[in-house]
Amino acid sequence: MDNLQEQFSNIYDQYIDKIYRFVYLKVNSQEIAEDITSRVFTRGWEAFQGSQEDIKNPGAFLYQIARNAVVDHYRSKGRTNVVSVESSPEIADPNIGIHEKAILSADISNLKNAIQKLKQEYQDVIIWHYLDDMPTASIAELLGKPAGTVRVMLHRGIKDLKDIIQES
Amino acid sequence: MTKLTQKQLIEQIEMLKGIKPRKEWATLLKSQILPEQQLQATITAQKVSFLGILSSVFAPKKLVYSLAVILFLVIGVFGFASQTMPGDLLFPVRKITEQSQAALTGHTGLKQSVATLNNRINDLAQVAKAGRTDSIPSAISEISADASALVKDLQNNTGPGGYPNKQTIKDIVVSLKTLADVPGTDLTANQDVKNLYQTVVQSQIADLQEATLTDEQKATLSEVEELYNQAKYVEALEKILLINN
Repeated sequence: MDNLQEQFSNIYDQYIDKIYRFVYLKVNSQEIAEDITSRVFTRGWEAFQGSQEDIKNPGAFLYQIARNAVVDHYRSKGRTNVVSVESSPEIADPNIGIHEKAILSADISNLKNAIQKLKQEYQDVIIWHYLDDMPTASIAELLGKPAGTVRVMLHRGIKDLKDIIQES
Repeated sequence: MTKLTQKQLIEQIEMLKGIKPRKEWATLLKSQILPEQQLQATITAQKVSFLGILSSVFAPKKLVYSLAVILFLVIGVFGFASQTMPGDLLFPVRKITEQSQAALTGHTGLKQSVATLNNRINDLAQVAKAGRTDSIPSAISEISADASALVKDLQNNTGPGGYPNKQTIKDIVVSLKTLADVPGTDLTANQDVKNLYQTVVQSQIADLQEATLTDEQKATLSEVEELYNQAKYVEALEKILLINN
């Protein structure tokens, strides 16, 4: 059991920042991001204890849990986070705290809001490629899609993001 | 308005790499998921630094000087130990001192278990207040262990009705309230603490069922029983405190 804990401890240290950032960019607040990230690692640890041999890529495994957790979060709130570029409602964040304001300049805040207006799969590939420095081949493996498809998704995601920012 | 180029957009996106979780939150979460691992890591780090000090003391020096240093260390140990917090190297010495004092004053068994838990909760409050985030996981582990031991002691020390002594339960309720008030920590998901809440709530429900209550209090007691059945022990205890006030 100690060895398992040590292994998961290393996985935790390696992925906590990435998973938190991945979730934070998809939800509206630090509190919600912390709550969802907690659930991701709790479920991850439970699964790791039960089937450690089957988890070949812990990072991919945690990202999958995180994606599902974010979807569950929006489902429970009665709305989906998949929006088209054309209908782009403002995602209000009345509870944004001083801590968040200190960190996020106006530009970054606009960018974060713009990312949230993208299709989920575009959000994912952009975060993984540009923020987590994941190569397209690794993203392709994670999504179970060809690398060429991932490159197209990245290209379209960036284009849509640019359009959203310039429209606003 | 200047058009945003792809290069500029990607540069902006990469600035988001600065988004990181709060360090104290990340440390606390890790301690809740992997309590033993955090405790081991802290003890190992402190052992390494203490061994470093010891080896410099025993380097080739005059024997008298070395003995004087050792004597100072021994005298200093018990003095410093009383100020230590969970996770500190000398904290076990403090625990031994607490147990010895308890034995001398006749506080043993269940009473000692409650006092020990209370001490650990106060330690957590102190380290949280002092911003000693490295000590928080160890403090939580200690509380978890003491809560587990206390639940066992409560089960072994029941009165005629099959429930623990009322005063003991009241003391534990005060301790749990203090624990709930420690800012920046939430142990309600910790299984050992949850079991303690369950034991306390069960005992309080039994007491209240035998007491004379107003209609409003009876209604609150029904809510408490419902919450207990849903395993929402923390919320149940909060309502019990409303009845008792």
